[in-house]
Amino acid sequence: MADANNDFKKRVRNFTFKALKATVKGILFYGIYFVLWMSLAPISEMVPGFQQMIETFVMVYIFLIIVGELTSGTIFQYFFNVARALFVIGYLIFSLKGGIFGLTFQNVSLMVDLRLFLAIAMLLSLLGLAKPVFQAINYMSEKEEYTPI
Amino acid sequence: MRIPIRMIGIATTFFWIFLIAFFVSAVYSVKDVHFDFGEPQMDVTSDNKVVFSLPVSITNRGFYNIGSFNISTEISDKEGFTITRGSTFIPVINKNDVVTITHNMTIDINDLLQRDKNYLFNDTELKIYEAVSMRIADVIPVQASTNFSMPWGAPLYNFTLGKVEYTAHNLTYFKVVVPISFENRAFFDLVGNIQIQMYNSTDIIVGEGQTNIEAHHNSPYHGYLELYVSMVGMAESGHFEVYFLTPLFNYGPLVIPYG
Repeated sequence: MADANNDFKKRVRNFTFKALKATVKGILFYGIYFVLWMSLAPISEMVPGFQQMIETFVMVYIFLIIVGELTSGTIFQYFFNVARALFVIGYLIFSLKGGIFGLTFQNVSLMVDLRLFLAIAMLLSLLGLAKPVFQAINYMSEKEEYTPI
Repeated sequence: MRIPIRMIGIATTFFWIFLIAFFVSAVYSVKDVHFDFGEPQMDVTSDNKVVFSLPVSITNRGFYNIGSFNISTEISDKEGFTITRGSTFIPVINKNDVVTITHNMTIDINDLLQRDKNYLFNDTELKIYEAVSMRIADVIPVQASTNFSMPWGAPLYNFTLGKVEYTAHNLTYFKVVVPISFENRAFFDLVGNIQIQMYNSTDIIVGEGQTNIEAHHNSPYHGYLELYVSMVGMAESGHFEVYFLTPLFNYGPLVIPYG
């Protein structure tokens, strides 16, 4: 009875710790977004939908961070981390329209070539994708090692 | 395996921070780049071409150098024929630096008239394509471009020869006075010479004369030209052939019938 009670308390403590960690990570990420937004704000006046585009990204990314943290210690954590990396890759490709970003403002056409930035971001995202894949492999292999025969 | 995974994580985070910080600071520093366009000026070169000059001052107070700065202008007519194009290139504008350049474009009026003589006599519109391109922080290419129209004022708008007056000069010659009028709607002053040859109905030249003209831009011109014509070859009808000789262009003959 006492063991079961202790186990429950341990689980609650673990979950509280995970939730706290997830909250801190989410707040930290939002804080970084908030600081960066101050310097990117002038762009939103020129590019319609820019703020919405960034906010959607931040929202989904924070959601995946929180879910990933809450499922830490399980194989699902790595699934969500892979999903996060794939989301970043997909979002970059779709939002930057292949790297050539164009807009028209009062008879003036503006074209920004972000292909180099996109290529580097893609490489980093692939590196970010490799990490949870390796972590999942490591997790499974460690689990196998510790399984009593 | 944990250490290599952790190293991948650290390296990825480091490079992401570096990339985002660089990108944000590069975009942010664009607001500290200022362009000042001066008053456009017009000049005539020694080889009689019209040169438009646009002084441009670029102040780079951003965090990074600006590379491959280029201003290009293309002037074309309504049908899309390119009349002239000009380009000004600056390899690097260093940070905390002010660069002043003059963007020049040359128009050869004679070339323009070979394409269409209506530029002399009729107002029209010219299409202008203007593009400014640069590499922010030497790595992010940006280009801004615009299209607009510019009115072209004809230098000999509504050119007409008025009613010809004949008076006897002596026993064998008439003095013929031909009134000339037009409006110089061009952006340049028109200074030059008009030559007129008078032909009778059998296409034989009966007399010729010339006069100097000076018409300031956006002002009308009224003058006359005197010819001395032999009474023998004189006819009631025929045609004038008009030649225009100016430092900017030569044109002729413009055939105008009389009688």
